[in-house]
Amino acid sequence: MSSRAPLIADTVSRSFSGNTAVDAVSLTLEPGKITSLIGHSGSGKTTLLRLFAGMEKPDSGRILSGTTELSGPTAHVPIERRKIGLVFQDFALFPHLSVRENVSFGLKRLKSDERSACAERWIDRLGLSHRIDAYPHQLSGGEQQRTAIARALAPEPVAILLDEPFSGLDPAMRDQVRDAALEAVRNAGIPSLLVTHDAKEAMVHSDKVAIIDRGRILQTGTPETLYNTPVSEIAAKALGPVHSFKRANLPGDWQNQIPGSSDIVAYRPEALQISSGSGFRVVRQRLAGAVSEIELEGVDGENLFAVCQLGSHIQSGDEVNVSINTSLFFDFKE
Amino acid sequence: MPHASFSPRIIPPLLIVALVGLPVFAAVFTGVVAGDGATWDHILQNRLVPYTLTTLSVLFMTAIMILGLAVPAAWIITQYDFPGRAFFSWAMILPLAMPGYVMAYAWADLMGVAGPLQSWIRETTGLSARDYWFPNLFSSTGLAFVLATTLFPYVYITARAAFSMQSRTSIEAARSLGAQPIDLFWRVSLPIALPAILGGLCLALMEAAADYGAADFLGIQTLGVGIIRSWQSFGEPNTAARLALALIFIAGAFLIAARIFQGRRGTQQTSSRWQSQARIKLPPVFGIGASFLCSIILLVCFAAPVSRLIWLAFENSASAADLGPLIRSTFLLGALGAAMAFLSAIIFSLSSKRSSALQVATRLIAAAGYAAPGAVLGLGALFILRETGQALSGGIAIGFLVWIYVSRFTSAGVEPIQASLARLPKNLDLAAQSLGSTGLKQFLRVDLPLIAPGAFAAALILFVEILKELPATLMLRPFGWDTLAVRAHAYATDERLAQATLPSLLIVLAGLAPVLLLSWRLGQTERT
Repeated sequence: MSSRAPLIADTVSRSFSGNTAVDAVSLTLEPGKITSLIGHSGSGKTTLLRLFAGMEKPDSGRILSGTTELSGPTAHVPIERRKIGLVFQDFALFPHLSVRENVSFGLKRLKSDERSACAERWIDRLGLSHRIDAYPHQLSGGEQQRTAIARALAPEPVAILLDEPFSGLDPAMRDQVRDAALEAVRNAGIPSLLVTHDAKEAMVHSDKVAIIDRGRILQTGTPETLYNTPVSEIAAKALGPVHSFKRANLPGDWQNQIPGSSDIVAYRPEALQISSGSGFRVVRQRLAGAVSEIELEGVDGENLFAVCQLGSHIQSGDEVNVSINTSLFFDFKE
Repeated sequence: MPHASFSPRIIPPLLIVALVGLPVFAAVFTGVVAGDGATWDHILQNRLVPYTLTTLSVLFMTAIMILGLAVPAAWIITQYDFPGRAFFSWAMILPLAMPGYVMAYAWADLMGVAGPLQSWIRETTGLSARDYWFPNLFSSTGLAFVLATTLFPYVYITARAAFSMQSRTSIEAARSLGAQPIDLFWRVSLPIALPAILGGLCLALMEAAADYGAADFLGIQTLGVGIIRSWQSFGEPNTAARLALALIFIAGAFLIAARIFQGRRGTQQTSSRWQSQARIKLPPVFGIGASFLCSIILLVCFAAPVSRLIWLAFENSASAADLGPLIRSTFLLGALGAAMAFLSAIIFSLSSKRSSALQVATRLIAAAGYAAPGAVLGLGALFILRETGQALSGGIAIGFLVWIYVSRFTSAGVEPIQASLARLPKNLDLAAQSLGSTGLKQFLRVDLPLIAPGAFAAALILFVEILKELPATLMLRPFGWDTLAVRAHAYATDERLAQATLPSLLIVLAGLAPVLLLSWRLGQTERT
């Protein structure tokens, strides 16, 4: 079945009136895996999604489903014939149709009884059976979102593309909706692309992450790879906090341990492990969710940043001992 | 703050409510209580039922034709790019400048036996006038055609707004689910835009129900025609009152339906995301087809009738000599009526802004005046005159005529003023009051400058609406106070069409001003 084929961008470029939005991007979306595309607004992530979907034509390069060319020099399959499911940030439900009718919309080719059975199956799978005859304006944000996902998956698309699907939801319900929704997406066994600007979302929920910046893919890999071995400072910042420091200002014994030779070294705050003792003075500590962020007094006014678990009772002015995990220090010059 | 207790401030709005409401009340009241058993059967069988059925069938055909003209035009103009699209986008509003009766005169000449269309058929085929069938404008269908060609912009404007505000993502989601372009229209865009389209249609039908001039000229026995005939020719005021009751019921029903549909637009999803996505560029053949379709609509609804009127005016070297007194009385009545209606609209708007208790009453009464056709209000005025024992002449007649203008058009002036008031920040009043500006001072220093653009639009609309008004002016004008509309109608019904052309053209020319203003205002708020 062709639905098990990967969806591939092969060196695609697209520019709008001289501004390059997507610049020679290659990215493969594997079936049954969720690939996250993370980047700032204006980084080209939505344009890349639109190229996959067929809403835009690439200036050069190809979009392939397996070996079938969808966009390229020889073909451009229009969006309505691609069988690619789309989920939008604003849900884009049809306001004049009920949940059942929305989910049935793409099932026109089925016979009427098969159609309603199929729609009901998907509505049930996303936990919306009790809302089946409700209209979009009567639904909560999470219910609208799940309706949109059921609608996209019901016609058994060859791939599904989700454009910031959770950023319109209020944070309290976001996690709950996201788990159920992405579970359904993963079970569909098709290539899926999750466009997001939320690093935590990308890391927790995807099998593969691609970082895009100014139209170029900086790095692609598993969340762990990208977090632990970023190729550049921008790539590092895309997935979590990163700080930099002059090598010359580091304590002498650290300088030898830290790889590389550049003047500036970068590190994730988890690279500094705090224990009781002395050597560094805590300038400031503040809560950041499940951890607390610690600022340590350094040399030349260049302070160091660390995190530690809550309950370690560290306060400003305390003296602490710091050891380092050198694998979370990065030298981007090499 | 004098909100809760009685305050002298609410006297002016209450006076206006009474002023606007009284003629409607007089007509409705007489319609309900008038008549005894002996004539009721006659009224019902010979007048009320046939006039009502004719009116409803004309409105039904008008509705079909309006939808056929407006919805496809709005769809292709919002969705596709083709040669002349930007021009057609605003030019489609131009037919609003033509009153129905002027459209009727022009098309009667174009389609007449001696007119250019039939002459051309005879010349090319060699047939004589009896040998072929040609559509007859002097029929219910002809009246519906004339009303639809002048009123379809109501639906065009609302449909265009609804189509262009539609979330692009809805369209893209539908396409990703396999919907073909034709499905997009029938399964997505049209259903989503339907409340807006039906709202516009109901307003257009309310205006169509109010028509008197076109129906009278074409000899169609609608309720509007029946009211004036019953009063003037048959001498049956009770019949007129019953017919007026039926007409205001129909017009009111359309207004209420329009408001319900407009309220439902709230459920439409709109999205600013990706709205800038370009319209689909049509391939040359289809592009020319789209331009051709728009050109035909514009030709039939505006260009052909207007140029025919101009041609007729030149061909008969129509004399402008007797226009002087017409223009003078039209201008005086228009200015006086517009000034009073404007004052009333300003008082309405500001009072409803301040006191919510008055809001319901003012809205209701303004709506009643808006929905009441000129013939009904004219009849109401005649009943008031009869009850008070006054004669319809001189200053009293002018006073009553201006009163009816205020009653009919206050609501048309309130709309643009309230639109500009709605844009003001809510706490502006408090800010002004905290700075020591209250009452009249606040009005002059804060409110008036802020609503100036809306107020200008209101004044212009009022002047032109009054200038175009026919039935009430016909019923109430004193001797020697014929307006352009009244005289054009008299000439046209007298089969002196050539002499009707100049006054008609002047009315169209005046009508263009508010239409162009409207087009400009729509252009400011919509990107279409």
